[in-house]
Amino acid sequence: MTQTVQTQQPQQNATEALTQTAAPTIAVRKSCNPDGIGLSHYVLMDKKAAK
Amino acid sequence: MTAAALNRAAAGPALIPVDIGHAVYAALTDPATAFWALVDKSRIAEELAGGPLLESYREKAGSFANELHALRFALTPSGVYLNPTERCNLDCTYCYLPGEQRSGGSHMAEEKLIASLAKLRDYFRSVMPAGRKPRAIFHGAEPLMNKATVFAAIDAFADDFIFGLQTNGTLLDDAAVDFLTARNVSIGLSLDGPIAAITDATRQTWGGKSVHHKVLAAMDKLKGYGSWSVITTCTSANLPYLTQMVELFHAKEVPTCMLNTVRCTLPGARGVKPADGDMAKALFAALDRTHTLYRETGRKLLVANFANILIGILAPTARRLMCDISPCGGGRAFFALAADGGLYPCSEFIGLPRFNGGNLLAEGGVEAALTSAAFRTVTVRDVDTFSPCGDCAIRHFCGSPCPAEAHEMNGGMEKIGAFCEFYKEQVNYALRLIADGKADDYLWEDWDEGTETTFRMA
Repeated sequence: MTQTVQTQQPQQNATEALTQTAAPTIAVRKSCNPDGIGLSHYVLMDKKAAK
Repeated sequence: MTAAALNRAAAGPALIPVDIGHAVYAALTDPATAFWALVDKSRIAEELAGGPLLESYREKAGSFANELHALRFALTPSGVYLNPTERCNLDCTYCYLPGEQRSGGSHMAEEKLIASLAKLRDYFRSVMPAGRKPRAIFHGAEPLMNKATVFAAIDAFADDFIFGLQTNGTLLDDAAVDFLTARNVSIGLSLDGPIAAITDATRQTWGGKSVHHKVLAAMDKLKGYGSWSVITTCTSANLPYLTQMVELFHAKEVPTCMLNTVRCTLPGARGVKPADGDMAKALFAALDRTHTLYRETGRKLLVANFANILIGILAPTARRLMCDISPCGGGRAFFALAADGGLYPCSEFIGLPRFNGGNLLAEGGVEAALTSAAFRTVTVRDVDTFSPCGDCAIRHFCGSPCPAEAHEMNGGMEKIGAFCEFYKEQVNYALRLIADGKADDYLWEDWDEGTETTFRMA
């Protein structure tokens, strides 16, 4: 009897812990009109280049 | 849409689990739409069986497929690489241009460059929305070997193009810096080592002299300018020093760098190709170092080639560098003009005559080149259609670059690029950063300006 209780209790705790601690799903997508610059200076050319 | 893609679409959206090497998260991707989600590793089976993630994704899968299709097949050119000379004062080990051109080739005459830009201006006006300017980058060989012609062209077409210049930096004197910065020309330099001995292993003059100190001097001249960058070509010679490279760049206040894998198009480059695993380890250490430097100083050193991978994951249509998408941008988002007037899908092909799509100033010009057999060989290369890419979970975060390498190094357009395993590791690294909430630290501040969020679970 005691053994059964002792065996079940950790299982319940483990299940509860798993449910509680499962990491939240992460999924993000952003969209825009593609303009397809494609060149190696693409980041620079989007910037104001004042010195 | 290809037959393979149609078959996949008919089967309905499905997610593929990917081990990204994270302690908590695994990725689920639908490669057909470049969709991804990060889920607790203990819940992969449940998420694949159904539930909010799959239901939400299925509502959006069609629009994501259309979006990716437009990116991959519906762009028109908006940029050009201009090669105003065949000559270079350096003899770099891995250059994609043949040595005989670089040592004894010709300059493009000023009148020919002016006529070429006029024709290019007219072409871009015919395909680009009013109000948007095309980009034109003077590119290697070494454009400043023909400096007077380049500068005359920049002044003649200042209202028609946004200009950039990629240079080895050795001819960038004070007058050149003043000219270019006064006109907001973006300037890219090249440096391969944190000290001369490392740079000299791959980048020297034809006579074997070091140019390391000259590039450092050019970097000092550009300090404070908003639009400059430095490219490091990663080879077996400098791979152990990438972390020191980014430390040097950060100390020199370089706003943006690129840590590019060497392009293995010509045999000389293959001799210094690093192993994929070594490349991944060194790049990630360097990226980690940029993050530490950012946290310590509040100042970012943007590693643009990696930023593009991140953006390709977070916002596929917002990517700017078109190497990591299939078909690549060569011959469809941009093209290259060689010093002899020949048109090529990309500068990477200029040393390969079979990829010449015709002459800009000949009848047909750009339009004829874009539909030429030479260009189509590149523009129809589609990772959906060949193995092993067609079954790869990350194929539209990678694109299997580059077609020139695939053709010359691996034997055909339906072959993988030079760094397949490295790309897989790089995408996993990027996904780990997203899982840890760090991705924005590796991107420029307004990277998502003009985008809208079309999916979010977080």
